[in-house]
Amino acid sequence: MSECIVITSGKGGVGKTTSTANLGVALALMGKKVAVVDADIGLRNLDVILGLENRIVYDLVHVIEGECKLRQALIKDKRVDGLYLLPAAQTRDKNAVSPENMRDLVKQMKEEFDYVLIDCPAGIEQGFKNSIAGADRAIIVTTPEVSAIRDADRIIGLCEAAELPEPMLIVNRFRAKLVKRGDMLNKEDILEILAIPLIGMVPDHEDVIITANRGYPAAFDEKSVVGEAYRRIARRITGETDVPFVATEEPETMWGAVKRWMGFAPVQAGAKAQDGGKPQDGLKEVAS
Amino acid sequence: MINLLDRFFVGRHTGSKDDAKSRLKILLVHDQVDLTPSQMDAMRAEILAVIARYAEIEPTKVDLRLERGDDGVNLVSSVAVRRVNARLAAVGG
Repeated sequence: MSECIVITSGKGGVGKTTSTANLGVALALMGKKVAVVDADIGLRNLDVILGLENRIVYDLVHVIEGECKLRQALIKDKRVDGLYLLPAAQTRDKNAVSPENMRDLVKQMKEEFDYVLIDCPAGIEQGFKNSIAGADRAIIVTTPEVSAIRDADRIIGLCEAAELPEPMLIVNRFRAKLVKRGDMLNKEDILEILAIPLIGMVPDHEDVIITANRGYPAAFDEKSVVGEAYRRIARRITGETDVPFVATEEPETMWGAVKRWMGFAPVQAGAKAQDGGKPQDGLKEVAS
Repeated sequence: MINLLDRFFVGRHTGSKDDAKSRLKILLVHDQVDLTPSQMDAMRAEILAVIARYAEIEPTKVDLRLERGDDGVNLVSSVAVRRVNARLAAVGG
């Protein structure tokens, strides 16, 4: 059964495109046939994150206007079998596409692919409406910040109004050190406020910048902690249960070790709680 | 002593996430009901004025706010009353 998932957030710059690229790569590495669609018409970026910007001939608007076949516009990623990009038009505006167009396009794509991932533009206007039109479910990306969570809440409401069942949450740019000292909202705070199931936590890590510089998503890199976080989210997307969350703790500092030795601090209690090997609250629902 | 050393090695424990959380909770309720903080203040003042016609209120112990519950937004209030003004209550009732 094939599925179309929209990756959305409301707020810009929280990691929708990075998440779409990495989940596309991770699902393809699992042997799935995946298409990632850049729905940000006029401001395309998914091609750059994937390192496929030099291979664009046709785009989404060409397909919708019948200037080329879908197959001609799809760019095959040569690094992994089964990953294709449908780029956005750069010189058109979002009004070139309607929700009906997207619904038809997604329907056509679902016949060929196991997963169609749509990278939604920021905002709640036409581009958002286009992006959710053909989707079966939504993944909301947020960061542990007031502004991003506020926008995520708005988007969750709009998804529910559009009858997109059970949106799920990725918490991106998580910084364990700040959480530990009480300067960043933790997982429980965010889930309490947004009240939707969690599908993954992605640590804030320099890998994201380095991989974006190179057009080589972290999910390709076996050693990357960000890559690992996305690979685990991909497994949860396919319905795997019991996928533990990645340890978002940073390595123990010298001072932490000294304090522990002196008997002042427990042994990395946070790390245990983050990665207990048990599916956490949200995950049970993800799995079902 | 250990706290001082903690401060030195780990950095400031400002606990700003609690501010973030309480601000968010208020923000989301207001987003949902589309009521601005000044409208909220006006509503609070009017409600308290009505209560004050019947009872003497302890002004420092007034809590009136919108809260998100499972089934929508609730107006939650806790108003400390010094004494009920029986004469006025009889007229009003």
